[in-house]
Amino acid sequence: MRRCAAAFSRRNLLKNFGVAGASLAVTGWHAGASRLAQEPDGAKPIESFTGPGPNPHWNSIGPYFSEPQKVPLILLTDRPVQLETPRHYFQTAFTPNGAFYVRWHLDGIPNSVDLKEWKLQIEGKVAKPQAWNLSELMQTFKPVSLAAANQCSGNSRSRLQPRVPGAQWGNGAMGNAVWTGVRLRELLEVAGVSSGAVQVQFQGLETGHGPKGLGSNAFLKALDINHPVLEESIVAYLMNNEPLPMLNGFPVRLVVPGFFATYWMKCLTWIRVLDAPDDNFWMKTAYRVPDTPRGNTTPEESNAGKVKTIPIERMPVRSFLISPDGSSKIPEGMSVTLRGIAFSGFGRISSVEISDDGGKNWRSAKLGEDHGTYSFRTWETPWTANSPGKHTLAVRATDEKGNTQTDEPVWNPGGYLWNRIERQVIVVGNAS
Amino acid sequence: MRTRLFTIFSMIFTAGITAGVVYAQLKQGAYRPAALGTIQQPAPAALSTDAVYEVSAYPVPALELAPAEGRQDVQIYCNTCHSPRYITIQPPLPAATWEAEVNKMIKTFGATIPDESAKKIIQYLQTHYTPETRKTRDP
Repeated sequence: MRRCAAAFSRRNLLKNFGVAGASLAVTGWHAGASRLAQEPDGAKPIESFTGPGPNPHWNSIGPYFSEPQKVPLILLTDRPVQLETPRHYFQTAFTPNGAFYVRWHLDGIPNSVDLKEWKLQIEGKVAKPQAWNLSELMQTFKPVSLAAANQCSGNSRSRLQPRVPGAQWGNGAMGNAVWTGVRLRELLEVAGVSSGAVQVQFQGLETGHGPKGLGSNAFLKALDINHPVLEESIVAYLMNNEPLPMLNGFPVRLVVPGFFATYWMKCLTWIRVLDAPDDNFWMKTAYRVPDTPRGNTTPEESNAGKVKTIPIERMPVRSFLISPDGSSKIPEGMSVTLRGIAFSGFGRISSVEISDDGGKNWRSAKLGEDHGTYSFRTWETPWTANSPGKHTLAVRATDEKGNTQTDEPVWNPGGYLWNRIERQVIVVGNAS
Repeated sequence: MRTRLFTIFSMIFTAGITAGVVYAQLKQGAYRPAALGTIQQPAPAALSTDAVYEVSAYPVPALELAPAEGRQDVQIYCNTCHSPRYITIQPPLPAATWEAEVNKMIKTFGATIPDESAKKIIQYLQTHYTPETRKTRDP
Protein backbone atom coordinates (compact mmCIF):
# COMPACT_ATOMS: atom_id res chain seq x y z
CA MET A 1 0.00 0.00 0.00
CA ARG A 2 2.76 2.41 0.95
CA ARG A 3 4.61 1.52 -2.22
CA CYS A 4 1.57 2.48 -4.25
CA ALA A 5 1.30 5.74 -2.44
CA ALA A 6 4.96 6.50 -3.11
CA ALA A 7 4.81 5.79 -6.82
CA PHE A 8 1.56 7.58 -7.57
CA SER A 9 0.29 10.50 -5.60
CA ARG A 10 -3.50 10.68 -5.59
CA ARG A 11 -3.30 13.66 -7.94
CA ASN A 12 -1.12 11.76 -10.40
CA LEU A 13 -3.31 8.72 -10.15
CA LEU A 14 -6.34 10.74 -11.08
CA LYS A 15 -4.48 12.48 -13.88
CA ASN A 16 -3.10 9.24 -15.22
CA PHE A 17 -6.29 7.24 -15.27
CA GLY A 18 -8.34 10.27 -16.16
CA VAL A 19 -6.42 10.89 -19.35
CA ALA A 20 -6.13 7.27 -20.36
CA GLY A 21 -9.74 6.63 -19.62
CA ALA A 22 -11.15 9.71 -21.24
CA SER A 23 -9.48 9.42 -24.60
CA LEU A 24 -6.87 7.54 -26.57
CA ALA A 25 -6.08 10.69 -28.50
CA VAL A 26 -2.32 11.22 -28.84
CA THR A 27 -2.58 14.87 -27.84
CA GLY A 28 -4.49 13.89 -24.73
CA TRP A 29 -1.76 11.47 -23.82
CA HIS A 30 1.06 13.97 -24.22
CA ALA A 31 -0.61 16.26 -21.72
CA GLY A 32 -0.57 13.36 -19.26
CA ALA A 33 3.01 12.35 -20.06
CA SER A 34 4.40 15.80 -19.33
CA ARG A 35 4.21 15.05 -15.61
CA LEU A 36 7.31 12.87 -16.01
CA ALA A 37 10.50 14.63 -14.95
CA GLN A 38 12.38 13.61 -18.11
CA GLU A 39 11.28 12.82 -21.63
CA PRO A 40 10.54 9.12 -21.72
CA ASP A 41 12.71 7.41 -24.32
CA GLY A 42 10.73 6.43 -27.39
CA ALA A 43 7.47 8.07 -26.37
CA LYS A 44 7.54 10.72 -29.09
CA PRO A 45 8.31 10.30 -32.77
CA ILE A 46 11.24 12.23 -34.23
CA GLU A 47 10.32 15.72 -35.43
CA SER A 48 8.81 15.71 -38.88
CA PHE A 49 11.38 17.68 -40.85
CA THR A 50 14.71 19.38 -40.51
CA GLY A 51 16.01 22.49 -42.14
CA PRO A 52 17.17 24.88 -43.31
CA GLY A 53 19.96 23.92 -40.87
CA PRO A 54 21.68 20.53 -41.10
CA ASN A 55 19.81 17.43 -40.02
CA PRO A 56 21.14 16.88 -36.46
CA HIS A 57 20.34 13.16 -36.34
CA TRP A 58 22.57 10.25 -37.30
CA ASN A 59 19.87 8.82 -39.58
CA SER A 60 17.39 10.56 -41.83
CA ILE A 61 14.11 11.55 -40.23
CA GLY A 62 11.46 9.38 -41.88
CA PRO A 63 9.21 6.81 -40.20
CA TYR A 64 9.95 3.09 -40.16
CA PHE A 65 8.39 1.34 -43.12
CA SER A 66 8.12 -2.25 -44.35
CA GLU A 67 8.87 -3.23 -47.94
CA PRO A 68 9.01 -6.73 -49.44
CA GLN A 69 11.95 -8.84 -48.15
CA LYS A 70 12.95 -6.04 -45.78
CA VAL A 71 12.84 -5.43 -42.06
CA PRO A 72 11.35 -2.06 -41.14
CA LEU A 73 13.69 0.60 -42.52
CA ILE A 74 13.54 4.38 -42.59
CA LEU A 75 11.30 5.60 -45.39
CA LEU A 76 12.57 8.38 -47.61
CA THR A 77 10.40 7.74 -50.64
CA ASP A 78 7.91 5.06 -51.62
CA ARG A 79 7.80 5.41 -55.44
CA PRO A 80 10.56 4.97 -56.55
CA VAL A 81 11.70 3.26 -53.36
CA GLN A 82 14.39 4.81 -51.15
CA LEU A 83 14.96 3.34 -47.69
CA GLU A 84 17.68 4.04 -45.15
CA THR A 85 19.32 1.53 -42.80
CA PRO A 86 18.95 2.39 -39.09
CA ARG A 87 22.18 3.00 -37.21
CA HIS A 88 22.22 -0.10 -35.02
CA TYR A 89 22.56 -2.45 -38.03
CA PHE A 90 26.13 -1.17 -38.40
CA GLN A 91 27.29 -2.79 -35.16
CA THR A 92 28.62 -5.67 -37.24
CA ALA A 93 30.95 -5.63 -40.24
CA PHE A 94 28.30 -7.07 -42.53
CA THR A 95 24.90 -5.50 -43.03
CA PRO A 96 22.04 -8.02 -43.11
CA ASN A 97 20.34 -8.20 -46.54
CA GLY A 98 16.97 -7.47 -44.97
CA ALA A 99 18.31 -4.25 -43.47
CA PHE A 100 20.41 -3.14 -46.44
CA TYR A 101 19.45 0.33 -47.69
CA VAL A 102 17.56 0.80 -50.95
CA ARG A 103 17.84 3.49 -53.61
CA TRP A 104 16.12 3.44 -57.01
CA HIS A 105 15.98 6.20 -59.59
CA LEU A 106 12.95 5.27 -61.69
CA ASP A 107 9.66 3.80 -60.55
CA GLY A 108 9.61 0.79 -62.90
CA ILE A 109 11.24 -1.51 -60.31
CA PRO A 110 10.87 -5.26 -61.01
CA ASN A 111 8.26 -7.08 -58.92
CA SER A 112 9.09 -10.40 -60.53
CA VAL A 113 11.84 -11.85 -62.65
CA ASP A 114 11.30 -15.05 -64.63
CA LEU A 115 14.63 -16.82 -64.78
CA LYS A 116 13.33 -18.89 -67.73
CA GLU A 117 13.44 -15.70 -69.78
CA TRP A 118 16.04 -13.54 -68.08
CA LYS A 119 19.53 -13.41 -69.56
CA LEU A 120 22.59 -11.30 -68.86
CA GLN A 121 23.59 -9.91 -72.24
CA ILE A 122 26.79 -8.45 -73.65
CA GLU A 123 26.32 -6.42 -76.79
CA GLY A 124 27.81 -3.50 -78.72
CA LYS A 125 31.43 -3.40 -79.78
CA VAL A 126 32.22 -7.05 -79.15
CA ALA A 127 33.24 -9.88 -81.47
CA LYS A 128 30.67 -12.35 -80.11
CA PRO A 129 27.62 -10.94 -78.33
CA GLN A 130 26.67 -13.14 -75.39
CA ALA A 131 23.60 -14.05 -73.37
CA TRP A 132 23.72 -16.20 -70.27
CA ASN A 133 20.90 -17.30 -68.01
CA LEU A 134 21.54 -17.43 -64.27
CA SER A 135 22.25 -21.14 -64.30
CA GLU A 136 24.90 -20.67 -67.00
CA LEU A 137 26.48 -17.81 -65.10
CA MET A 138 26.73 -19.94 -61.97
CA GLN A 139 27.96 -23.09 -63.80
CA THR A 140 30.25 -21.70 -66.50
CA PHE A 141 32.38 -19.30 -64.52
CA LYS A 142 34.46 -19.74 -61.42
CA PRO A 143 32.71 -17.99 -58.54
CA VAL A 144 34.66 -15.31 -56.72
CA SER A 145 33.79 -13.61 -53.43
CA LEU A 146 34.77 -10.28 -52.00
CA ALA A 147 33.64 -8.07 -49.16
CA ALA A 148 32.87 -4.54 -50.26
CA ALA A 149 31.03 -1.55 -48.88
CA ASN A 150 28.26 -0.04 -50.97
CA GLN A 151 27.47 3.60 -50.30
CA CYS A 152 25.08 5.97 -52.04
CA SER A 153 26.83 9.01 -53.54
CA GLY A 154 24.40 11.19 -51.60
CA ASN A 155 24.87 9.49 -48.24
CA SER A 156 24.65 12.15 -45.49
CA ARG A 157 23.28 14.74 -47.94
CA SER A 158 21.13 16.17 -45.13
CA ARG A 159 24.33 17.50 -43.50
CA LEU A 160 25.11 20.03 -46.24
CA GLN A 161 24.87 23.77 -45.71
CA PRO A 162 23.12 25.26 -47.50
CA ARG A 163 20.85 22.26 -47.98
CA VAL A 164 20.55 20.88 -51.50
CA PRO A 165 17.59 19.13 -53.11
CA GLY A 166 17.59 15.33 -53.36
CA ALA A 167 16.97 12.45 -51.02
CA GLN A 168 17.83 13.78 -47.56
CA TRP A 169 19.89 10.82 -46.41
CA GLY A 170 21.34 10.64 -42.93
CA ASN A 171 24.32 8.30 -42.60
CA GLY A 172 22.47 5.06 -43.34
CA ALA A 173 22.63 4.96 -47.15
CA MET A 174 25.44 2.43 -46.93
CA GLY A 175 25.97 -1.25 -46.28
CA ASN A 176 28.62 -3.93 -46.44
CA ALA A 177 28.26 -7.45 -47.79
CA VAL A 178 30.20 -10.40 -49.11
CA TRP A 179 29.41 -10.42 -52.81
CA THR A 180 29.81 -13.63 -54.80
CA GLY A 181 29.63 -13.91 -58.55
CA VAL A 182 31.53 -13.82 -61.78
CA ARG A 183 34.42 -11.58 -62.75
CA LEU A 184 33.26 -8.89 -65.17
CA ARG A 185 36.56 -9.16 -67.04
CA GLU A 186 35.95 -12.86 -67.75
CA LEU A 187 32.58 -12.09 -69.27
CA LEU A 188 34.08 -9.35 -71.44
CA GLU A 189 36.85 -11.69 -72.56
CA VAL A 190 34.38 -14.30 -73.73
CA ALA A 191 32.53 -11.65 -75.74
CA GLY A 192 35.78 -10.23 -77.10
CA VAL A 193 35.98 -6.46 -76.82
CA SER A 194 36.60 -4.87 -80.23
CA SER A 195 39.41 -2.42 -80.80
CA GLY A 196 38.07 1.09 -80.66
CA ALA A 197 35.92 0.35 -77.59
CA VAL A 198 36.17 3.17 -75.05
CA GLN A 199 33.55 2.51 -72.40
CA VAL A 200 31.35 -0.24 -71.08
CA GLN A 201 27.78 0.69 -70.21
CA PHE A 202 25.52 -1.04 -67.72
CA GLN A 203 21.75 -1.21 -67.70
CA GLY A 204 19.40 -2.98 -65.32
CA LEU A 205 15.70 -3.81 -65.42
CA GLU A 206 14.40 -0.49 -64.02
CA THR A 207 12.45 1.75 -66.37
CA GLY A 208 10.79 5.14 -66.12
CA HIS A 209 7.91 7.00 -67.76
CA GLY A 210 9.97 9.65 -69.54
CA PRO A 211 10.63 9.84 -73.29
CA LYS A 212 13.23 7.47 -74.73
CA GLY A 213 16.74 8.88 -74.62
CA LEU A 214 16.17 10.91 -71.46
CA GLY A 215 17.27 10.13 -67.93
CA SER A 216 13.66 9.68 -66.89
CA ASN A 217 13.35 6.67 -69.22
CA ALA A 218 16.39 4.55 -68.38
CA PHE A 219 19.12 4.49 -65.78
CA LEU A 220 22.50 3.89 -67.44
CA LYS A 221 26.03 4.07 -66.09
CA ALA A 222 29.37 3.60 -67.80
CA LEU A 223 33.02 3.03 -66.93
CA ASP A 224 36.10 3.43 -69.14
CA ILE A 225 37.00 0.12 -70.78
CA ASN A 226 40.58 0.42 -69.49
CA HIS A 227 39.66 1.50 -65.98
CA PRO A 228 41.61 -0.59 -63.42
CA VAL A 229 38.42 -0.98 -61.35
CA LEU A 230 37.01 -3.30 -64.04
CA GLU A 231 39.63 -5.88 -63.00
CA GLU A 232 38.12 -5.96 -59.51
CA SER A 233 34.47 -5.72 -60.51
CA ILE A 234 32.16 -8.70 -60.33
CA VAL A 235 28.64 -9.56 -61.40
CA ALA A 236 27.21 -10.82 -58.11
CA TYR A 237 24.40 -13.34 -57.71
CA LEU A 238 24.97 -13.80 -53.99
CA MET A 239 24.88 -11.18 -51.27
CA ASN A 240 26.05 -12.43 -47.87
CA ASN A 241 25.59 -15.94 -49.32
CA GLU A 242 21.91 -15.39 -50.04
CA PRO A 243 20.08 -14.38 -53.21
CA LEU A 244 19.86 -10.61 -53.55
CA PRO A 245 16.61 -9.06 -52.29
CA MET A 246 14.60 -7.77 -55.26
CA LEU A 247 15.06 -4.22 -53.98
CA ASN A 248 18.84 -4.70 -53.93
CA GLY A 249 19.04 -5.99 -57.48
CA PHE A 250 17.93 -9.61 -57.92
CA PRO A 251 19.06 -11.62 -59.87
CA VAL A 252 22.51 -10.07 -60.36
CA ARG A 253 24.14 -6.81 -59.49
CA LEU A 254 27.36 -5.18 -60.59
CA VAL A 255 29.88 -4.77 -57.77
CA VAL A 256 32.46 -2.02 -58.30
CA PRO A 257 34.67 -2.19 -55.19
CA GLY A 258 35.65 1.18 -53.73
CA PHE A 259 33.29 3.07 -56.03
CA PHE A 260 30.07 4.77 -55.01
CA ALA A 261 26.94 2.68 -55.48
CA THR A 262 25.76 4.60 -58.54
CA TYR A 263 27.86 2.21 -60.66
CA TRP A 264 26.65 -0.93 -58.88
CA MET A 265 23.84 -1.55 -61.37
CA LYS A 266 20.95 -3.46 -59.82
CA CYS A 267 19.15 -6.19 -61.82
CA LEU A 268 22.04 -5.92 -64.28
CA THR A 269 20.84 -7.24 -67.66
CA TRP A 270 22.70 -5.39 -70.42
CA ILE A 271 26.44 -4.88 -70.63
CA ARG A 272 27.06 -2.68 -73.65
CA VAL A 273 30.51 -1.97 -75.04
CA LEU A 274 30.61 1.55 -76.52
CA ASP A 275 32.96 3.15 -79.06
CA ALA A 276 32.22 6.67 -77.77
CA PRO A 277 31.92 8.08 -74.26
CA ASP A 278 28.47 7.61 -72.77
CA ASP A 279 26.69 10.96 -72.84
CA ASN A 280 23.42 9.85 -71.25
CA PHE A 281 21.99 12.02 -68.45
CA TRP A 282 23.26 9.79 -65.62
CA MET A 283 26.87 10.22 -66.80
CA LYS A 284 26.91 13.64 -68.46
CA THR A 285 24.73 15.60 -66.01
CA ALA A 286 24.02 13.63 -62.86
CA TYR A 287 26.45 12.05 -60.39
CA ARG A 288 29.17 14.55 -61.22
CA VAL A 289 31.37 16.27 -58.68
CA PRO A 290 33.58 19.37 -58.88
CA ASP A 291 37.10 18.57 -60.05
CA THR A 292 38.48 20.11 -56.85
CA PRO A 293 39.97 18.76 -53.60
CA ARG A 294 37.24 16.69 -51.87
CA GLY A 295 34.76 17.77 -54.58
CA ASN A 296 34.25 20.98 -52.68
CA THR A 297 32.85 24.20 -54.11
CA THR A 298 30.45 27.00 -53.15
CA PRO A 299 26.93 27.88 -54.28
CA GLU A 300 28.32 31.09 -55.83
CA GLU A 301 30.95 29.32 -57.93
CA SER A 302 28.51 26.61 -58.86
CA ASN A 303 25.77 29.03 -59.91
CA ALA A 304 28.29 30.98 -61.98
CA GLY A 305 28.83 27.79 -63.97
CA LYS A 306 32.60 27.98 -63.61
CA VAL A 307 33.12 24.66 -61.89
CA LYS A 308 34.55 21.86 -63.99
CA THR A 309 32.94 18.57 -63.02
CA ILE A 310 33.91 14.91 -63.39
CA PRO A 311 31.93 11.71 -62.82
CA ILE A 312 31.94 10.67 -59.16
CA GLU A 313 34.13 7.62 -58.52
CA ARG A 314 35.78 6.43 -55.31
CA MET A 315 34.41 6.84 -51.79
CA PRO A 316 36.44 9.07 -49.48
CA VAL A 317 37.45 7.65 -46.10
CA ARG A 318 34.71 7.63 -43.44
CA SER A 319 34.20 6.34 -39.92
CA PHE A 320 31.23 6.14 -37.59
CA LEU A 321 30.50 5.66 -33.93
CA ILE A 322 27.63 3.19 -33.81
CA SER A 323 27.38 2.41 -30.12
CA PRO A 324 26.65 4.06 -27.75
CA ASP A 325 24.33 6.15 -29.89
CA GLY A 326 23.48 8.86 -27.36
CA SER A 327 19.89 7.73 -26.90
CA SER A 328 20.43 6.70 -23.25
CA LYS A 329 22.47 8.04 -20.36
CA ILE A 330 25.66 6.35 -19.20
CA PRO A 331 26.41 6.32 -15.44
CA GLU A 332 29.53 8.22 -14.35
CA GLY A 333 32.61 6.04 -13.87
CA MET A 334 31.37 3.19 -16.03
CA SER A 335 33.80 1.92 -18.63
CA VAL A 336 31.86 1.19 -21.80
CA THR A 337 33.03 -0.03 -25.21
CA LEU A 338 32.77 2.41 -28.09
CA ARG A 339 32.07 0.52 -31.30
CA GLY A 340 31.84 1.49 -34.91
CA ILE A 341 32.91 0.98 -38.49
CA ALA A 342 35.26 2.63 -40.97
CA PHE A 343 35.91 2.24 -44.69
CA SER A 344 37.54 3.92 -47.65
CA GLY A 345 37.23 3.49 -51.39
CA PHE A 346 40.93 4.30 -51.75
CA GLY A 347 42.37 1.46 -49.68
CA ARG A 348 42.47 -0.38 -46.39
CA ILE A 349 41.73 1.42 -43.16
CA SER A 350 45.01 1.89 -41.35
CA SER A 351 43.76 3.61 -38.20
CA VAL A 352 40.69 4.82 -36.38
CA GLU A 353 41.06 7.41 -33.66
CA ILE A 354 38.76 8.68 -30.97
CA SER A 355 38.59 12.05 -29.26
CA ASP A 356 36.46 12.91 -26.24
CA ASP A 357 37.58 16.54 -25.96
CA GLY A 358 36.15 18.02 -29.12
CA GLY A 359 38.97 16.87 -31.38
CA LYS A 360 41.99 18.25 -29.52
CA ASN A 361 43.46 14.92 -28.42
CA TRP A 362 43.10 11.63 -30.25
CA ARG A 363 43.84 8.06 -29.30
CA SER A 364 43.78 4.90 -31.40
CA ALA A 365 40.96 2.41 -31.37
CA LYS A 366 41.50 -1.30 -31.90
CA LEU A 367 40.62 -2.43 -35.41
CA GLY A 368 38.51 -5.53 -35.95
CA GLU A 369 39.08 -8.29 -38.49
CA ASP A 370 40.26 -7.22 -41.93
CA HIS A 371 37.69 -8.58 -44.40
CA GLY A 372 39.26 -6.94 -47.45
CA THR A 373 40.42 -3.63 -48.87
CA TYR A 374 36.98 -2.17 -49.53
CA SER A 375 35.03 -3.78 -46.69
CA PHE A 376 33.72 -2.12 -43.55
CA ARG A 377 36.29 -2.51 -40.79
CA THR A 378 34.91 -2.62 -37.28
CA TRP A 379 36.73 -0.84 -34.47
CA GLU A 380 36.30 -0.63 -30.72
CA THR A 381 37.87 1.03 -27.73
CA PRO A 382 37.03 1.33 -24.04
CA TRP A 383 35.89 4.70 -22.78
CA THR A 384 35.17 5.81 -19.27
CA ALA A 385 32.69 8.56 -18.66
CA ASN A 386 34.62 10.46 -15.98
CA SER A 387 32.22 13.22 -15.07
CA PRO A 388 28.51 13.87 -15.35
CA GLY A 389 27.58 16.12 -18.23
CA LYS A 390 27.53 16.17 -22.00
CA HIS A 391 30.57 14.59 -23.63
CA THR A 392 31.26 14.95 -27.32
CA LEU A 393 32.93 11.96 -28.90
CA ALA A 394 34.54 12.32 -32.32
CA VAL A 395 35.87 9.60 -34.59
CA ARG A 396 38.22 9.84 -37.55
CA ALA A 397 39.78 7.25 -39.82
CA THR A 398 42.87 7.15 -42.00
CA ASP A 399 43.35 4.82 -44.96
CA GLU A 400 46.53 3.22 -46.26
CA LYS A 401 46.92 5.98 -48.85
CA GLY A 402 47.16 8.49 -46.02
CA ASN A 403 43.71 10.02 -46.55
CA THR A 404 42.31 11.26 -43.24
CA GLN A 405 38.97 12.72 -42.29
CA THR A 406 38.90 16.38 -41.29
CA ASP A 407 36.48 18.80 -39.66
CA GLU A 408 36.00 20.69 -42.92
CA PRO A 409 32.50 20.36 -44.37
CA VAL A 410 31.91 19.56 -48.04
CA TRP A 411 29.53 21.36 -50.34
CA ASN A 412 28.61 20.68 -53.95
CA PRO A 413 25.24 21.03 -55.67
CA GLY A 414 24.64 17.27 -55.87
CA GLY A 415 25.22 16.76 -52.16
CA TYR A 416 27.91 14.13 -52.72
CA LEU A 417 31.16 13.01 -51.03
CA TRP A 418 30.34 14.06 -47.46
CA ASN A 419 33.03 12.62 -45.15
CA ARG A 420 33.51 15.14 -42.36
CA ILE A 421 34.51 13.82 -38.91
CA GLU A 422 31.42 12.52 -37.12
CA ARG A 423 30.54 13.65 -33.61
CA GLN A 424 28.19 12.21 -31.01
CA VAL A 425 27.05 13.81 -27.79
CA ILE A 426 26.86 11.32 -24.91
CA VAL A 427 25.04 12.30 -21.74
CA VAL A 428 26.70 10.99 -18.58
CA GLY A 429 24.64 10.90 -15.41
CA ASN A 430 25.55 10.65 -11.76
CA ALA A 431 26.17 7.14 -10.49
CA SER A 432 25.38 7.87 -6.87
CA MET B 1 20.13 -7.67 23.64
CA ARG B 2 22.39 -6.93 20.66
CA THR B 3 20.95 -9.84 18.75
CA ARG B 4 17.42 -8.67 19.41
CA LEU B 5 18.26 -5.13 18.26
CA PHE B 6 19.87 -6.48 15.08
CA THR B 7 16.82 -8.62 14.37
CA ILE B 8 14.53 -5.64 14.79
CA PHE B 9 16.70 -3.48 12.52
CA SER B 10 16.79 -6.23 9.89
CA MET B 11 13.03 -6.54 9.99
CA ILE B 12 12.55 -2.81 9.58
CA PHE B 13 15.09 -2.73 6.75
CA THR B 14 13.49 -5.65 4.92
CA ALA B 15 10.04 -4.17 5.38
CA GLY B 16 11.40 -0.91 3.99
CA ILE B 17 12.61 -2.57 0.78
CA THR B 18 9.46 -4.53 0.14
CA ALA B 19 7.39 -1.42 0.78
CA GLY B 20 9.57 0.60 -1.64
CA VAL B 21 9.95 3.64 0.57
CA VAL B 22 13.74 3.51 0.22
CA TYR B 23 13.44 4.43 -3.50
CA ALA B 24 11.34 7.51 -3.56
CA GLN B 25 12.38 8.23 -7.16
CA LEU B 26 11.53 4.78 -8.48
CA LYS B 27 8.84 4.97 -11.13
CA GLN B 28 7.05 1.83 -12.07
CA GLY B 29 4.12 0.65 -14.06
CA ALA B 30 3.92 3.58 -16.49
CA TYR B 31 2.18 2.58 -19.70
CA ARG B 32 0.75 4.73 -22.45
CA PRO B 33 -1.78 4.31 -25.23
CA ALA B 34 -0.15 3.77 -28.64
CA ALA B 35 -1.12 3.30 -32.26
CA LEU B 36 -0.88 -0.26 -33.50
CA GLY B 37 -0.47 -1.67 -36.97
CA THR B 38 1.60 1.01 -38.64
CA ILE B 39 4.18 -1.69 -39.34
CA GLN B 40 2.65 -5.08 -40.08
CA GLN B 41 4.50 -8.34 -39.86
CA PRO B 42 4.25 -9.90 -43.32
CA ALA B 43 2.58 -13.29 -43.67
CA PRO B 44 4.74 -15.99 -45.28
CA ALA B 45 4.35 -16.05 -49.06
CA ALA B 46 3.14 -19.11 -50.95
CA LEU B 47 6.14 -20.11 -53.04
CA SER B 48 6.10 -22.17 -56.22
CA THR B 49 9.08 -24.08 -57.62
CA ASP B 50 9.00 -22.45 -61.04
CA ALA B 51 11.57 -19.92 -62.28
CA VAL B 52 9.51 -16.87 -61.37
CA TYR B 53 10.89 -14.89 -58.44
CA GLU B 54 8.32 -12.44 -57.22
CA VAL B 55 7.64 -9.93 -54.49
CA SER B 56 4.39 -8.18 -53.71
CA ALA B 57 3.50 -4.73 -55.00
CA TYR B 58 5.58 -2.02 -53.36
CA PRO B 59 3.42 -0.19 -50.81
CA VAL B 60 2.66 3.51 -51.23
CA PRO B 61 1.13 5.13 -48.13
CA ALA B 62 -1.35 7.93 -48.61
CA LEU B 63 0.08 11.42 -48.40
CA GLU B 64 -1.95 14.54 -47.72
CA LEU B 65 -0.47 17.54 -49.51
CA ALA B 66 -1.38 21.00 -48.29
CA PRO B 67 -4.90 21.74 -49.62
CA ALA B 68 -4.32 24.80 -51.76
CA GLU B 69 -4.33 26.12 -55.30
CA GLY B 70 -2.00 23.96 -57.40
CA ARG B 71 -2.36 20.77 -55.39
CA GLN B 72 -4.34 19.05 -58.11
CA ASP B 73 -1.69 19.92 -60.71
CA VAL B 74 0.99 18.42 -58.46
CA GLN B 75 -1.08 15.28 -58.03
CA ILE B 76 -1.64 14.89 -61.76
CA TYR B 77 1.72 15.81 -63.26
CA CYS B 78 4.40 15.15 -60.61
CA ASN B 79 2.76 11.86 -59.76
CA THR B 80 3.42 10.49 -63.27
CA CYS B 81 7.02 9.59 -62.42
CA HIS B 82 7.20 9.75 -58.62
CA SER B 83 4.99 9.97 -55.57
CA PRO B 84 4.50 13.41 -53.99
CA ARG B 85 6.63 12.20 -51.08
CA TYR B 86 9.54 13.43 -53.22
CA ILE B 87 8.27 16.90 -52.36
CA THR B 88 7.67 16.45 -48.66
CA ILE B 89 11.03 14.76 -47.94
CA GLN B 90 12.93 17.80 -49.18
CA PRO B 91 14.39 20.27 -46.72
CA PRO B 92 12.86 23.74 -46.99
CA LEU B 93 14.24 24.91 -50.35
CA PRO B 94 14.53 28.50 -51.60
CA ALA B 95 11.88 29.65 -54.08
CA ALA B 96 14.41 29.75 -56.94
CA THR B 97 15.43 26.14 -56.25
CA TRP B 98 11.81 24.95 -56.49
CA GLU B 99 11.43 26.75 -59.79
CA ALA B 100 14.63 25.13 -61.06
CA GLU B 101 13.41 21.70 -59.91
CA VAL B 102 10.15 21.98 -61.82
CA ASN B 103 11.99 23.27 -64.89
CA LYS B 104 14.40 20.33 -64.63
CA MET B 105 11.46 17.92 -64.68
CA ILE B 106 10.17 19.56 -67.86
CA LYS B 107 13.36 20.34 -69.77
CA THR B 108 15.73 17.60 -68.61
CA PHE B 109 13.31 14.78 -67.86
CA GLY B 110 10.71 15.55 -70.53
CA ALA B 111 7.68 15.91 -68.25
CA THR B 112 4.76 17.14 -70.36
CA ILE B 113 3.26 19.79 -68.11
CA PRO B 114 1.20 22.60 -69.67
CA ASP B 115 2.71 26.05 -68.98
CA GLU B 116 -0.29 27.10 -66.91
CA SER B 117 0.00 24.05 -64.65
CA ALA B 118 3.78 24.36 -64.36
CA LYS B 119 3.32 27.91 -63.07
CA LYS B 120 0.74 26.72 -60.56
CA ILE B 121 2.99 23.88 -59.39
CA ILE B 122 5.93 26.25 -58.86
CA GLN B 123 3.68 28.68 -57.01
CA TYR B 124 2.33 25.86 -54.84
CA LEU B 125 5.80 24.58 -53.89
CA GLN B 126 7.02 28.09 -53.16
CA THR B 127 3.98 28.81 -51.02
CA HIS B 128 4.39 25.73 -48.82
CA TYR B 129 7.93 24.42 -49.01
CA THR B 130 10.49 27.24 -48.65
CA PRO B 131 12.38 28.13 -45.44
CA GLU B 132 10.01 31.07 -45.03
CA THR B 133 6.79 29.18 -45.70
CA ARG B 134 7.50 25.70 -44.47
CA LYS B 135 6.41 25.28 -40.89
CA THR B 136 5.57 21.64 -40.76
CA ARG B 137 5.81 18.52 -42.81
CA ASP B 138 2.83 16.67 -44.17
CA PRO B 139 2.29 13.23 -42.62
